[in-house]
Order: sequence, then structure tokens, then C-alpha cells
Amino acid sequence: MAETQFAESQTIRVRVNGQEYEREVPVRRLLADFIRHDLGLTATHLGCEHGVCGACTIIMDGESVRSCLLFAVQADGAELQTLEGLADGDDMHPLQQAFWDNHALQCGFCTSGFLMSAVDLLDKHPRPSEEEIRHGLSGNLCRCTGYANIIKAVQAVAEQSQS
Amino acid sequence: MSREGTGKMLGAQVRRVEDPRVLLGKTQYVDDLVLPDMLAVAFVRSPYAHAKITKIDVQAALTKPGVACVLTGKDILETIKPLRVEFDTQKVPFHKSCNWHVLTPDKVRFVGDLVAAVVATDRYTAEDAAELVEVDYEPFEAVADMESALLADAPLVHEEWGDNVMERLEAQIGEVGKAFQEADCVVSERFVTGRHMASPLETRGCVAQFDVATEALTVWSSTQVPHTLRASLATLLDLAEHRIRVISPDVGGGFGLKAHPFPEEVVVTYLARALRKPVKWIEDRREHLSASLQAKHQIVTAEMALKSDGSVLGLKARFLSDAGGYSSYPWSSAFEPKHAAGTITGPYKIPAFSFETCTVATNKASIGVYRGVGIPIAALTMERLLDMGAQKLDLDPAEIRLRNMIRKEEHPYTTLMGAEIESGSHQASLQQALDILGYDDFRAEQQKARQNGRYLGVGIGSYVEGTAHNSAVFDSFGVKIGGYESATLRIDESGKVTVFVGTHSHGQGHHTVYAQLIADTLGVALEDVAVVQGDTQATPRGWGTWASRSAVTGGGAVTSAAQKLRDKLLRIAARLTEVPADDLELVQGAVQRKTGAVRLLSIPELAHRIIAQPTSLPPDEEPGLDVTVAYEPPPITHSNATHVAALEVDIETGQVQLLRYIVVEDCGTIINPIIVNGQIQGGVAQGIGSALYEQAVYDDAGQFLTGTLMDYLIPTAADVPQVEIGHIETPSPYTLHGIKGMGEGGAIAPPAAIANAVADALSPFGVRVNEVPLTPERVLSMLDRAQTNPGTE
Ligand code: FES
Ligand code: FES
Repeated sequence: MAETQFAESQTIRVRVNGQEYEREVPVRRLLADFIRHDLGLTATHLGCEHGVCGACTIIMDGESVRSCLLFAVQADGAELQTLEGLADGDDMHPLQQAFWDNHALQCGFCTSGFLMSAVDLLDKHPRPSEEEIRHGLSGNLCRCTGYANIIKAVQAVAEQSQS
Repeated sequence: MSREGTGKMLGAQVRRVEDPRVLLGKTQYVDDLVLPDMLAVAFVRSPYAHAKITKIDVQAALTKPGVACVLTGKDILETIKPLRVEFDTQKVPFHKSCNWHVLTPDKVRFVGDLVAAVVATDRYTAEDAAELVEVDYEPFEAVADMESALLADAPLVHEEWGDNVMERLEAQIGEVGKAFQEADCVVSERFVTGRHMASPLETRGCVAQFDVATEALTVWSSTQVPHTLRASLATLLDLAEHRIRVISPDVGGGFGLKAHPFPEEVVVTYLARALRKPVKWIEDRREHLSASLQAKHQIVTAEMALKSDGSVLGLKARFLSDAGGYSSYPWSSAFEPKHAAGTITGPYKIPAFSFETCTVATNKASIGVYRGVGIPIAALTMERLLDMGAQKLDLDPAEIRLRNMIRKEEHPYTTLMGAEIESGSHQASLQQALDILGYDDFRAEQQKARQNGRYLGVGIGSYVEGTAHNSAVFDSFGVKIGGYESATLRIDESGKVTVFVGTHSHGQGHHTVYAQLIADTLGVALEDVAVVQGDTQATPRGWGTWASRSAVTGGGAVTSAAQKLRDKLLRIAARLTEVPADDLELVQGAVQRKTGAVRLLSIPELAHRIIAQPTSLPPDEEPGLDVTVAYEPPPITHSNATHVAALEVDIETGQVQLLRYIVVEDCGTIINPIIVNGQIQGGVAQGIGSALYEQAVYDDAGQFLTGTLMDYLIPTAADVPQVEIGHIETPSPYTLHGIKGMGEGGAIAPPAAIANAVADALSPFGVRVNEVPLTPERVLSMLDRAQTNPGTE
């Protein structure tokens, strides 16, 4: 997309879901817009564009981040993971499977953000208590499910990995 | 021939068939759509609540590189009609209509009102250019609250009305005066509900494309009502409806908000046609909060007359509702108080009721329908008054309810308002909810806690949820929409089924539940049923998804269509196999002889003959396996439920902590318990938001103060407990399979149950609990008020 008057742009290199990309981007382009519109990875969603809803959550260098609060240029050199990189082809990641089994989604708009936050949560706390799951996911808003099944799904995966 | 299906899938715990696509990130919401040469729109919106536009200078914006055009209200005054809700005066005698211009030409009526549209190569440029549009305003005094809107010297939102009253309605049913004369006890209160919002996680948005060769328009919109939107676009833009195709792709939640056609959709469609290029608009969250539709803001002043045994003799209520600047289509922004008045009796037998509704225009965003429409404040009013009555009469809150509820054997029960509640389980659902809590144990724990300076409370909220209203009911409301739903069902040569339906699932799991209903009727596997929705070109005319209508109406349409094709398959199979049709059934993909359970021929074989070898058909049978059905449901189908909230109030901080939340729900025959429970849990979460956190706030000048999700507080995973759910299934005697709608219910009773529980927790202080949301500040000020004026409750 042409950024006519903001000629100031920069070339960045990122690895997204294991694939290298080199792109010239306007310096003010949001990372979320870069991922969605420049790379066409539209599983990452935007619910507020001001850092509250968590719909845009991705993993950047092993940490969950809100891609609406970063500029694309800040991701230069980074390794990113989005929902598109979670499954192995059509073989679901255990969290995806658990979300399905537990009816942890309704409209699905928040789901990508929740999955990425949950990946990060389980990465850091493989055996979270319910309290820790609630706290760990409290930066993601869901307007449909009332959260209970999302929490169950994350608990199910945590339990599986312990057995 | 019209035997019921095999019943294998009805009621089964089936995982949703639509989920893998979502989980693997393959969905397509409207902002995911990219078309060649697509332009982006940003809107210039009013920073003032009430002002005259004296000048608009678009020059600076227009000369910015990348800008394609700037459109103002004056440019389109002659070419685009305003949205306008009109009623037949026979049905709605006192209603004033107003024009909602898609871009206002002269005066702005709320912060966020549409002033101009800027089109550019991309959203960044469009938003920059929107800031370059210079608008001069002459600010007026704003009408910032509903009570001052009624004052004689109030500024006028719509001058031509002469005052700010949009609609008034008055009625008296039964002998209200006598009820109050004979009462042993009268309780009264003034209740206020916050200005809530549906606020789905996906904001509004649309893309429009004009095909120069065919002159056809395609509009993708995040809407719950694709056909209604198409009809509105045709009317407002004066275009032939059959040249417009509306597609509602994946939609990230709606909750009623997206059941309205919007000015922005009209502007975007107009621009695509004028510029002959695809145009996209994606709303940002501030626009959504300030300028989409708000909901549920009312002040209800109510009085209840009771006998000493707790039976209710009569009720009086005045519903005042703050409509905002315009009126939303098709129900109008005056629907909220009418629906509150019409549903307030809930599960109770109330012999006399008089009410007045009054809806006023103010300088705020307009009111639309949002999950429960009117019933949450009706339930809050009724349930608080019952608790207040119980307290005065020294009765238990459960007891006063059981005494007044419609008993099972009294169904079908015709309410004071003339609605027939066909069946229900009001007392049983209340009893079961109390049992789940362990009511007596909780009371004991409450006593003990109080001695330790901790304040626990329990509150009940019971309600009846009218769902799936039929066409006659809408006609009686004066609203020009249908209540029926349509489906086209097609079996192809391979025996697989596709259903095209006019409802729209945006989280409700219709693909799964419709497939369950069809699988049972046609004896096919779940995965052999495809569901097509949300495309006016593919599906028959339908009315979309709102008002808990889809299970009954869409389910009715797809089931009726499947029954028709099943009958045809069996009729033809009977001729071919020479077995009487009533000894045949469809089971596991085949026609089977019931006697001896013998498989005679497979559905694919039979379908192939009917479609591709029609010469072998009996002469009186048409070839093909396509059928379209319009299903008109019974007038209103009523679900019922009781919610019980147990909570603790911290009297130092005003913080309310939910300890338990219980719902016992009766929505008749359940198609899929997973989905029903999901709707309950999600609805309760929204209701908790209404009860404790959410409110759209304006200051005295009508300035909007809650423009981010840091200000408009949606509950998080830390705020919503796991709801404990119980079910009772009392089928409707009138709908197919006895199904009742239930999507809104979860959101209806939390304000009532939570307010009652807070009042119960704080009963040692005599606190008046009459407003939601019960934010910590509000709880503290209620406590303060009680301590300065003890004994007011
Ligand atoms: S879109 Fe990034 S936090 Fe909401
Ligand atoms: S599933 Fe709709 S917002 Fe979470």
C-alpha cells in the first residue's frame, strides 16, 4: 500500500512462523498492520488498537506482545509467531485442540489472541493454578464466552503435559 | 409421513463443526478482505455534542497526496435519503420521527456525529486527511441527561418536534387504584441502569465494490442482518435491490448492535459506486464506543402494592428512556422502555398494572437493541421491588417469589399484557437454583461472616425471556419486519446436503445445530451437511440473527425443509421398492424398511435417480431435490430462568466480589447443551459487566468520556466466575421439537440478582440499591447516603 507523504521508510527483516521476510515499511506502520496487510497473515486481529483487548497478541522473541502497540520497525531482526504458525499443517497444537474440545470460542475474533497468550503462559508456567490462568489471560478480552471454557481448555493442556 | 427424526443428534453434546477453521486462523472477517485498488475511508466526526456547522473547508484535505475525495453532508443531501423510522399511527400513536442524515448537513447532535467522509489510498492517509478537514461550529447548549431533556427551557435536539419527546405511551390494565387502596404494604423506588454497550470485540466495518460491467454492487459488512441491510441500501441510495448483494462474512460478535443498518454502510456503498473502486471502512474502538449505538439507559420509577402474605396486587411504573440524538432502524430508539413495560411482569401473576413510557432525545449516541432489550431493567425493577416487599413483610425473598409465580399447571398463562406464556418451570427453576447454592447453608455462613465484619449477600433474579417473535407480533409493535425465517435445502447427486438459511451465526454455532437438526431428519451424517448463510445472493430472504430467534425460526425453517425432502425421498422410494412409505425411514444414509430394519437403497443412489435419471420417477413427482420453506413461528416463545448471585461486599473499598453464580435455565428442548451452556456463561459475563462495571459516560456538556476500553470496562477472565448451570426442559407445545430461544437470557438477570445480593449484603446498613453498574464508588456513596439518612429503605 502506498504511503505517499510518509516517504520515511525503512527496510526490515523478520522471521515469521519460520519464514524470512524482508520488506520496506513506513516507519510509522504498526506491527499489526504489517503482519495483517503486508504479509497477509490475517489470523491476528485488531479489537481496540490501543493495547487493551489483547486480540492482536503474537509472540515476539519468546514473549507475548500486543502487535498494535509496536511499530513494524521495532520488530526488525525479530522472530515472530502468529496463530498461522501454531498448528503443524492441519494438525492442531494441543491448545487449539483443547479450545475445540471445550467450546472455548464463539465468534472467534478473540481466539487468536487468547491462543498466543496461552502459549506464552504455559511456556512460563507449565503448571498454572486456575488463579494464575485467570490472571495470565486477564489482558485478553472476550465478549462472547465468559471465559470459563477458555480457562478449562488451558487447564486441560496443562494437565495433559503433566501426565 | 411427518414422523419426527430419529432423535440421535437432537440434544447431543456435539463439538462445533465451525471451530477448526477459526482455530487454524482461516476465517475471513471484513477487515481481512483485500481487493485490487481498494481505497479506505475515514470519517470526520463532531467533537461537539450539539452545534451548528457553519463552514466546512476540505481544501487542505483534498490536496493531500493520496486523497481521492472528501464528501460532506451538503454534497449528498439530494442523492442519499436519511435513515428515518416511521410508524403507523394506529399502532404507535405518539411517536415523532427524525431524519438521520448519513452525513449531517447542518447540525451535529452528539460527539461522534458524522460530518464528512475522506477517501484515500489507505487508512493512514485517510485518517491524516480527515484531520485536515476544517469544520467551523457554532456550539449550542447540549441536552446531556434525560430528565433535563423534559424541562420547558431545554435546548431542542430536533427543533421541528417542539420538545424533546420522541415517544410516549400510557396504559392501565386491571384495577390499579383499587390494588393500591387495598394494599397492606407499598414499596417504591427509582431505578437507574447505566448506558451500556454491546461492544463486540470486532468493531463495525464494511467493504463495497461496484462492478462497472454489470452495474452490480457487492457489500461485505460485519452485520447480523444482511437482507435488511440490502433493502435499506436500496431504499436510501435509490437503487434496484436485486443489483445489490450483501455478504456478511465472519462476524466478530454482534449482540444486537449489528442488527441495525448504519449510516456509514450507506456512505461506503455510495462511495464505491461514485468512485468505481472498492472502498473499505474499518471502525476504530473510539468511534465504536462513541458513535455506534449505545443501549439500555433508563430511569424507572415504580411502586408495588402487596398483601401481607406477599402476594402482589398491583404495579405502577414510569419508564423514562434516553434515546440519544437519532433513532435507530428498524425498531427505533424508543423500543427499550416499551419492551421493558411489556415484559416487566416476568414469571409473576400481577393482576393490575399501569405504566407510562417516555423516550426523549438527548445529545448522545443513539440507543439500539442490545441483548435482552428492556428486560434487564424490567427484571431489575421487579426483582428489587419483590425483595423490598419481602423485607417489609418479613418474608424470605424465595418465598415471596414462589407465592407469586405462575404455577406449572397454570400454563398456557396469558399475561396482563396479553402474551401467552405457553409453558415454563418458574418455581422449579428457582427451587433448583437455591438447592445448587445450598441456600440455608449460605444464610448461616452469612450470619457468621457478619459477626466477623464481613458482608456476604445472596440475590435472586427470575425472568421470562420472550424469543423468536413472529410477524404478527412485529406488526402489532408497528415494526415493519418479518418474524418468519427461510431456508433452501438441497440434496445433491452424491446424497450430500446443503442448506441456505437467512439467519446469521456470529458465534452462536448455527452450522452445528442446523446440521444436527437436518442430520436427524434426513438420516445423514453431521459432516454431510453444509450450511450457507450471510449472502443475499445465495440464501432466501431472511431476517438475520437477533432476539434469540434462530434456534426456533431458523431451526424451524431448516427442519421443515428437511422434512419436505425426507417425505419426497420416502414417497419415491416407496414406489421404487414397493414398500409402503410409512414402513420406510431414513437411517444412516439409507432408506430402510422399519420392519426388520432392512436397508433397501442408499440416499446417494436414490438422490441420483431423482436428480439425474428423472425418467424413472413416478409421473406425478417433480425431478430434483431442492426445496425452499418459510417458517412462521408461534407468536412468542418463552424461556424462563432463575439466577442466583452470592457475593461479598468490601465496605471499605466498595468492591463487590462474586463468590458463586448460579443459573437454572429452561429453554425447552435443548439441541446442543454445549452451545446452550456457552450462551449462558457468555450472557452472564455481559450481565455482570452491566451490573458492576460498564457505563458509557458523558459530562454535563455532552462530552463523551469513555472512549477507550480502559474507560468502558468489559469484564475480564479475573472478573467472571464459572457459572453453575442447571437445566429443566419444558418443551414448547408449539415449536418444532419444542425448542425455545435462549441467546439473550444470560444477560438479563445479572443486574437484578447482583443488585439484590448487594442490598442483602448491606442490609445491616439499610442501603438503597437502585442503580447499576454497582461500581466501587457507587457502592461507597450508597453506604454514605445510608449512614447520613438512616432508615430510608
Ligand atoms: S488490538 Fe491490540 S490490544 Fe486490542
Ligand atoms: S469468542 Fe467472540 S470475542 Fe471471544
